[in-house]
Amino acid sequence: MTMTESPPATATGTDGDTAVPRIAGGLHTWLTTSDHKKIGLLWVAVSVLLFAAVTVVGAVLGFERADADSVDIFGGVNSYFQMWTLYRVAFAVLVVAPLFIGIATVVVPMQIGSTNIAFPRAALGAFWTWLIGAGITISAVLIGGGWGALDGVTSDEADAISLTLLGTGMVIFSLLVASVCIATTIVSMRTSGMNLSRVPLFTWSMLVATSVWLITLPIAASNLVLAYVDLHHGGPSTFGNPEPVAGATAIWQQVDWVVSQPQVYAFAIPLLGILGSIVPVAAGTRHVSHSAMIGLIGLFGFLSVGGWSQPAFHDGTEDFLFIAFGLVILLPVLGSLAGAASTLAEGEGIGFKDTHLLASLGAGVVLLAAVVSGALRVVEPFHLIARSTTTGVFNLVMVSAVIAGVAGLWFWAPKITGHQLAGGLGKLVVLDLVLGGLLLGLTDLVSGFLETPDFLLAPPVSSTADALNLVSVVGAVMVALGALGLVAGLLGGLRSDAASAGDDPWDGHTLEWATTSPPPEGNFSEPPAKVVSEAPLLDQSGSNESEIA
Amino acid sequence: MFTTGFKFFYGLGSALMAAAVVYGYTTGGDGLGPLVMGWEGGVGDHLGYGVLLTLGFVAMGIGLIMVAFRDADPAAQSHYLGVESVPSAPLVTGNFWPVVGAFGVGGMVIGLVINTAVFITGLILCSAVAIEWMTTAWADRATGDPDANRELRNRVMAPIEVPALGATMVALVVLAMSRILLASSKNGAVVVAGVAAVLILGIAVLYATRPQLGRNVVAGLALALGVAILAGGIVAAAIGERSFEEHEPGHEGAIVEIVEGSTSVEIAYTGVEASL
Repeated sequence: MTMTESPPATATGTDGDTAVPRIAGGLHTWLTTSDHKKIGLLWVAVSVLLFAAVTVVGAVLGFERADADSVDIFGGVNSYFQMWTLYRVAFAVLVVAPLFIGIATVVVPMQIGSTNIAFPRAALGAFWTWLIGAGITISAVLIGGGWGALDGVTSDEADAISLTLLGTGMVIFSLLVASVCIATTIVSMRTSGMNLSRVPLFTWSMLVATSVWLITLPIAASNLVLAYVDLHHGGPSTFGNPEPVAGATAIWQQVDWVVSQPQVYAFAIPLLGILGSIVPVAAGTRHVSHSAMIGLIGLFGFLSVGGWSQPAFHDGTEDFLFIAFGLVILLPVLGSLAGAASTLAEGEGIGFKDTHLLASLGAGVVLLAAVVSGALRVVEPFHLIARSTTTGVFNLVMVSAVIAGVAGLWFWAPKITGHQLAGGLGKLVVLDLVLGGLLLGLTDLVSGFLETPDFLLAPPVSSTADALNLVSVVGAVMVALGALGLVAGLLGGLRSDAASAGDDPWDGHTLEWATTSPPPEGNFSEPPAKVVSEAPLLDQSGSNESEIA
Repeated sequence: MFTTGFKFFYGLGSALMAAAVVYGYTTGGDGLGPLVMGWEGGVGDHLGYGVLLTLGFVAMGIGLIMVAFRDADPAAQSHYLGVESVPSAPLVTGNFWPVVGAFGVGGMVIGLVINTAVFITGLILCSAVAIEWMTTAWADRATGDPDANRELRNRVMAPIEVPALGATMVALVVLAMSRILLASSKNGAVVVAGVAAVLILGIAVLYATRPQLGRNVVAGLALALGVAILAGGIVAAAIGERSFEEHEPGHEGAIVEIVEGSTSVEIAYTGVEASL
């Protein structure tokens, strides 16, 4: 049911007598809140912290791989396998997806002129369920669990592995609940006049992303439940695949597709929306083709649906759809970047001094590297399917998504924290993540051509591959440093004495900039005027010719 | 005429059905099979075809519901109601139940692995949350006055939830503690039990002597308790139950053997003999 809610007479969240507003509240408030901005901030804060932890794990894995002659750090190949799988799963469902969900939970209701998110209690419950599920999953891996075991699951490991499977299922379930809240908000709580072709691009991208997640992630959850049941009733199922892939396990194969092509791209769908939302504001003009971006983001989402591509259902390189999806997905990314470049060219006096603009463009470049690597991977003559290129594509997609998250955080920080985040530190973080991400991903792409396998801890196949491993470690360390910078930047923004942001520091185009920073409970002091285009604030100021949809 | 939500879901449903047909033909479907759901000819891969087709039907069903109730388009709804803007609704109030539900789900997950009783406790917790959630949602919309709504909810639920919540908490603590004690060494179990007892007593005394205790402190203690219980469950899963002495069949409990005409009584208790 669409509803408008009566906002309180005065805005909440101001800091006593000082003029600097802040997001306030004690533990009780954070445990019981129904305010979408607080719920979103919870998602953002925890996912950023987990990002730092995951990148440290990635760097340690890189060190181990660079000296593969002996497994010094983890003490055994199986332990290495468990942390290697934890790195992948955690990056996707404990960092990237929740980071975007957090930003969307704060921003989307305001962008569409709504007073709150749909089902706010469910949104809060989703966060806490996700957090507890994350704790169970990580703890279970640390006590010897994981998504299978290279040398077969022993009775000693069975409980911890079961706990890992169910914990991951809990995480996915909570992400799905949060997705339902966001998708329902977008579909049913838009303000008057805002039809789907007029929603801001970030909001549209979240509708596409949550739809894709809702279609595909239940399949992963089902696989996990099946694996759990099988584990308790005689050996993990191969799900119709009689010969498990060498070096992996039957259980991991049921999860691996979530973090491989094409499904891995689904975690980066909001990136295109963030790019499409930030660039027009930075250029001070409308997007050259909002309608085309709607189509491109939808196409990117469609091509990232990957439940069908798990090993039980296809045989990799010979599958026409698999190859076609891997190649065609280049189009929406190239189109989005071309749209961004054209929009910037339309603008005047672009200084590229804003962190969010640099980050959104950097994210686009890294995603382009990812889809190009993915396109090379599916071309049969290169034989890259089971090579390190797989990890390269994964790392490029994940890092590009996080950089887009950085862009979103710096752009919408006034609405998320009430303050602007430090620009200098932000640029350092972006530069670090872009360079680190490219080093991390592209070295694995090249190593793939040198026939380096995807997982196995094996001595380098050549001195060149050995050197590339070292370069990859440098990239992993840079990404880890970027993660720490991101944590510091966000903490700085949450300080109550940080500089006040102002209500609309960037001259934004969409409705979230029509309210205060931070916004009051209920978001708007009065209902927004009827929307007639994708840039309602530009319509109100009379700037630019309106592209009435 | 058609709301935006209807168009979106109907379009999504159409796309999914088209995808099902394409998928059917690319995975071995023949004849008219993928077009007529296998009435004539094969549909190809049954699982993928079935999933895509089902999702398509579900999306179209949601689309039909949306157009029937005009629930997705504020402009359409305003027009339907004959007002300038849609009527206001009260703000959704916050409460602890979402967090409690999350811990309930966590308890179910851990219980599935370590102990059925913990699973059932988690299930009961989740069921209680569902009832509370529905009651609160009803009360939120009962009248236009939030205070009256809160009073109404409390009048209905408080006589049930206070004793039920107390009993559930006691059961949860007892069950979880039992698993932790079973996983601990003999001396460790004594220490754990002592610390737990002191903690519970201390918290009760603190709350009794300082009823004005801040709700943040109470929330913190409840959160810490929940985390401790789940963490204890994970530890229990990690190390399993400690081994116990096996009793020989027939020697459970004390066996007293009285020999006629004798002043001695032999008491056999797990291999220990005593003479009087």
